[in-house]
Amino acid sequence: MTRHHPDNLSLLEYSAGNLSEPHALCIRLHLDKCSHCRSRVDSLEALGAVIMDHQPKVSLSEDMFDSILAKIDEGVEPAPQPSRESVLHKLLGADINDLPWKRQLGDVSVLDITDKFPGQSEQVVLQKLAAGGKAPAHTHRGEETTIVLQGAFADQKGVFNQWDFVVLNDQDDHKPVAVGCEDCITLSILSAPVKLTGRFTRLLNPFIR
Amino acid sequence: MMSVIRSNHVNVKERPVATLDKKQANSEGPKDPWSRLLEKVGKHQDREAFHALFEHFGPQIKYFAMANGLSSHAEELVQEVFVSIWRRSCLYDWRKAAASTWIFTIARNQRIDMLRKMQRTSAEMNVETEDLWQVPGDNEDEPVTSLHRLMSERRIRESLGQLSEEQTTVIAKVYMENKSHQRVADELNIPLGTVKSRVRLALNKLKVILQDQNA
Repeated sequence: MTRHHPDNLSLLEYSAGNLSEPHALCIRLHLDKCSHCRSRVDSLEALGAVIMDHQPKVSLSEDMFDSILAKIDEGVEPAPQPSRESVLHKLLGADINDLPWKRQLGDVSVLDITDKFPGQSEQVVLQKLAAGGKAPAHTHRGEETTIVLQGAFADQKGVFNQWDFVVLNDQDDHKPVAVGCEDCITLSILSAPVKLTGRFTRLLNPFIR
Repeated sequence: MMSVIRSNHVNVKERPVATLDKKQANSEGPKDPWSRLLEKVGKHQDREAFHALFEHFGPQIKYFAMANGLSSHAEELVQEVFVSIWRRSCLYDWRKAAASTWIFTIARNQRIDMLRKMQRTSAEMNVETEDLWQVPGDNEDEPVTSLHRLMSERRIRESLGQLSEEQTTVIAKVYMENKSHQRVADELNIPLGTVKSRVRLALNKLKVILQDQNA
């Protein structure tokens, strides 16, 4: 179980570029706000560079450098400027509060955004627990990675604020409550590649499963 | 080329990390020769410096591409990486990363990008590779942060030899072959828990995650 920050192994996989896109997104969103983890990733990227240096080297074609120069000379593409738009907004095309949320039961709403990540098997869902709202007690099936996008929630183990990172598994039994005056919105990745519909849809919701 | 690297190592040993104070780190400019060359490319579009970087890092990146299963596109990846290095070099800041680290992240991103393009279906994601994988830069120009980075890179380089062969193999597979811990476990026919503990032990030995970062 990981709470508040991603563990070293996840950050290692991130720095190596080996995570699925939804997992990379969760880490990236966390890094945006967490200088502690940014610094850990910096070190891990340095490790990647050192490892690359210690591998065998493969000689290159003789004319390769010239063709790179030719490509540089023909291209006028300027250095890319970092985008100001948040990754999340870019992905969803709207503010998280303005999405077509589906009310599920009581204080809980969900939105499945798996189709934003074509070609991968994990299920990705946004969940909203209304300010002050309670979700029924539940446990988790398989592993579930969650990042808090807005507001905060609390359970028996503590309070989870905006940009906190949580990995839960079937050992974790909790009963989250949205704390503070904002709706609590989270993004979760469900490892079990199940697709349920109809009355079982609500089983996908980590708040109420 | 190799002599340059060795002399750099000697340098590091001669000057214990503890004596490298903030002022020095700031005033002496980039310490390693590759970072210095990359700065020249960024500031003056220096093609000689660019060629030296190509000679040193090109063969590494070609191996990286091949280890990632991109054998038939290995040189294409090297080309993409160097065009990208040239175009982005003006953004390079030695205080934020050593040239080797900066180039590694470009190679990694281009590899992700290439695999993504190869697997592209009709449906596309509306975020770019960089949006997901590029670590957001620190806005502050804190000398402590810069110094910290310089030190951690050196420490990793110096302590890599302390790893057991098993630990090196696991780490190399994760970084060079685009393999998750689970896939490494499957391939080496060992439990996932063993892979994870080897990685954890290796990171501890390398002091990648520095104690003082938590303070």
